[in-house]
Amino acid sequence: MTADEAAIAELYDNFDAGAQFEGSVAGNVRDPYPELARKRRESPVEGRTMTLFAGGAADGSEDVTQDAFWVYRYDDVSAVLRDNESFSSESVREMMGLVMGPYVMVGLDEPDHKRHRNLVAQAFRQRALQRWDGDLVVPIADQLLDRILARGTGEAELVRDFTYRLPVQVIAGILGLPPGDYPKFHKWALALINVTADPEEGIAASESLREYFADVCELRRKDPRDDVISDLVHAEVDGERLDEEEILSFCRLLLPAGAETTYRATGNFLFGLLSNPDQMAALMADPGLMTAAIEESIRWEPPLLIVSRRATRDVELGGVTIPAGADVVPSTGSACHDETRWGDTSEQFDIRREPQPHIAFGAGPHMCLGIHLARMEMRATVDRILTRLPNLRFDPDRAGTDPHIHGETFRSPTGLPVLFDA
Amino acid sequence: MRGEPVALEISINRETCMGSGNCSFWAPGVFDLDDDGIAFVVDIDAGPEEKIILAAQGCPTQAITLTRDGRPVE
Repeated sequence: MTADEAAIAELYDNFDAGAQFEGSVAGNVRDPYPELARKRRESPVEGRTMTLFAGGAADGSEDVTQDAFWVYRYDDVSAVLRDNESFSSESVREMMGLVMGPYVMVGLDEPDHKRHRNLVAQAFRQRALQRWDGDLVVPIADQLLDRILARGTGEAELVRDFTYRLPVQVIAGILGLPPGDYPKFHKWALALINVTADPEEGIAASESLREYFADVCELRRKDPRDDVISDLVHAEVDGERLDEEEILSFCRLLLPAGAETTYRATGNFLFGLLSNPDQMAALMADPGLMTAAIEESIRWEPPLLIVSRRATRDVELGGVTIPAGADVVPSTGSACHDETRWGDTSEQFDIRREPQPHIAFGAGPHMCLGIHLARMEMRATVDRILTRLPNLRFDPDRAGTDPHIHGETFRSPTGLPVLFDA
Repeated sequence: MRGEPVALEISINRETCMGSGNCSFWAPGVFDLDDDGIAFVVDIDAGPEEKIILAAQGCPTQAITLTRDGRPVE
């Protein structure tokens, strides 16, 4: 291991992934789905006051709350996300702009959004990403597994040892950051991803990343290479280019959007397989099930359960009038469990379920840009883990652990304590 | 032509297509993205109809319209 690799490893070893499941960040809820099912039945569109952060105002004196109309059924959630004229992304811009800059793509409305999206989309198409699979994602997965296997103990905690580490390394790789910069990049990345837990440190890290990416952009402008930052600084559609601040916002957005969600989704996929050994065995026996298994895991336990929009006009939805200016929260997590689409087994993880499009990646013009990258990372992760850790199973006796998927806004396993045949 | 199945027809709205690549995920071989990142039909016979229907449903901007004998297919 090089000195840089050791520095990164230490950073993650000292990071308490469990801490972020406490309290307000992810939401302190073990299973929100029974309540979401009740909402779908009884009040599918409902005005609510929600506590975002208890005692979370800057001076700690009061709760931060949000009044919003929550939307629970698949068809209604889909309608809100597809109608970006009636439902703007202004509320997202307000939330994320402070940290990521005013040009953060998830907060843009048309026509700015489409122009920005077209320019960054080229680098994230399925075909453009293929080059990263064998050259980057699989080797990172194998390096993480080498470390686990080198211990020779036949046990691991796959959140801390694997899922938490892989996506940030993938982002650093596709951005083309020099390996010597990885330790500081990872430090800032972790602080930015945890901005809701520690806003001061997160915002400071975001500023450091802005300055750092500005230097990298300058280098790639003069000397383009085969990486995403080179693609972004040279991207051109119909004579339009991204300006510097847009690129700097986008690079920072990749950390929460590309690293946090992916580590959570990958953990949920592993949790589904570990909790259902028959399905894990079926997947190992027939790798052709992998594509459907990935989609089912994302539908069953999406890493992010809600989106935010703001009504631009009075809109009638599910018999409720949403007034212009009101915030709207489509619950994509609830929509992914809608019985009218997935039947009375909608709460279950079943990789043999007949595949059909779900809405965990959103819908409409803001649908997740990273769908192909996320799928690639989830496939490589599970394929390498199942191949290299034989007879993989939960460790029933790990002291003090009660592994479960946790959270109300973001969801992922509290831990994945496993045993395998060393 | 009585008794002969009427072929499915696919049309793609190039204005609303956002180039997500979802159609080529659900029905690989039938759809692909062109150099502008806009979806097009490569070969309508490269996949079963149910996959093409999933691709249309999975389009985030509903840019794919399916018809048979002039009537919409959903």
